[in-house]
Amino acid sequence: METRPKIALFQCKWCLYSQPDQNWVDNDLPSSMYLVKLPCTGRINPLYILNAAQGGADGIVISGCLPEKCHYKEGNLSALRQHEEFLNFLDYIGYERSRVRFVWLDLQDRGRIQKELADFEAEIAKLGKAKVLATRTNVSPGGQYA
Amino acid sequence: MPELTTELRKNIEQLLTDQVVDVVIAFKKADAPLRPQPAFFRNLEELEDLEYNGLCQNNLANYLTRYPHDTKIGIVVRGCESRSVNALIVEKQHPRENLYMIGIPCQGILDIRKIIKKTGEDVTGYSEDGDQVSVVYEGKEVNLQRSDLLHDSCLRCAHPNPVNADVLLGEPLPDGDPTIVRLAIEEFEALDRDERYAWFQKEAERCIRCYACREACPMCYCTECFVDHATPRWTESDISQAGTQAWHIIRAFHQAGRCTSCGACERACPMDIKMTYLTDKLNNDMLEVYQFETGMDDNTQPPFASFNLDDKNRFVI
Ligand code: SF4
Ligand code: SF4
Ligand code: SF4
Repeated sequence: METRPKIALFQCKWCLYSQPDQNWVDNDLPSSMYLVKLPCTGRINPLYILNAAQGGADGIVISGCLPEKCHYKEGNLSALRQHEEFLNFLDYIGYERSRVRFVWLDLQDRGRIQKELADFEAEIAKLGKAKVLATRTNVSPGGQYA
Repeated sequence: MPELTTELRKNIEQLLTDQVVDVVIAFKKADAPLRPQPAFFRNLEELEDLEYNGLCQNNLANYLTRYPHDTKIGIVVRGCESRSVNALIVEKQHPRENLYMIGIPCQGILDIRKIIKKTGEDVTGYSEDGDQVSVVYEGKEVNLQRSDLLHDSCLRCAHPNPVNADVLLGEPLPDGDPTIVRLAIEEFEALDRDERYAWFQKEAERCIRCYACREACPMCYCTECFVDHATPRWTESDISQAGTQAWHIIRAFHQAGRCTSCGACERACPMDIKMTYLTDKLNNDMLEVYQFETGMDDNTQPPFASFNLDDKNRFVI
């Protein structure tokens, strides 16, 4: 029986500056964590966040680069405005805002992603299973109904 | 408002005769007296059917995006409609120089549901004069107060006067009170989480996915809406809990910084589902965080399109 909370990690592929960290995320994430790797936080549509929540994630992490460090110059700036507001909005209809965490990473943040995920997992465990937002029917990768 | 309709007719006649515009988007009488319909006037003869009163439900800006950019469009606009037109100009959906806005300071749109609650379904006649509305039901005249019948969005309206209209028919009205909508949002926010979610569920989950709300909204002009996309399927397209919730969340969110609180979506919904409490929240946030109100001019980009490095201190590490 699975007891660990399910966590979706939306990761900008440029934000982990240290190769060992990226290797860890790519290969060694615990099975309760699901990685979605993207070219940039600016590529994360709020719909993805909703899909993660409706797909059964108890918590969601968005990790990306700091301002002026974005590989595409300003993808992160666009992401911040949209996702902050999306969370305000989800909170308004009852979804706990604290189930989503932003992690903005810098060059010297080697090893930080592991700590953030562990810390976040502990917090989500305290909150318990997500009850707000209905869970959708399973879809297979590519979006076809299973 | 027969005088206003006459004045409007004269105005449109002139525009068409002088070939200032190719087509005028306005309302015409329909067989059902409570439901004037959007109409697209190109000939003077058709103007016979022109109608303008408090029952004109649609946001006419909705039809702007259906014309090629070189069509010269005349359009009758109330406060919210003019702002929707401005927002569409910002989004490059029609060039300003090919538009002619005939503005009408708006007394508010009446909610048909509020009328038939007081009478019954089969109303056969309608007229209004100032604050007096009279409808014919089962052969008898029923007198009602206009202010009792206003649609909820109009009760909260802050900007009844058209913005940037080329001509204004009638005297400008005093601005509405912007605290009304804020108080409504604060009242909702004061509920606890479970109550808020329960309310959201009660509304969203009655949805039959007819998409009338989308079709009524001037800002929902996407060639392919996210709900119609098949591979990948972003949301369930049936009336499952998850599907209806996703529809209500994302449709509203797509309007952030673009919605003018016209309420056309809510009026169009056959299930009488409340949804402006969602877009009003987003509008209010846009105002508080970015001092942005949709359509107050025709060149300011909405907040999600105008991000810049000024935001850098908001990246909390
Ligand atoms: S979302 Fe509704 S209230 Fe907002 S502009 Fe569209 S139709 Fe009008
Ligand atoms: S709901 Fe969103 S995707 Fe669909 S038509 Fe409206 S704006 Fe476009
Ligand atoms: S108009 Fe009402 S029932 Fe139809 S899709 Fe919109 S919310 Fe659902």
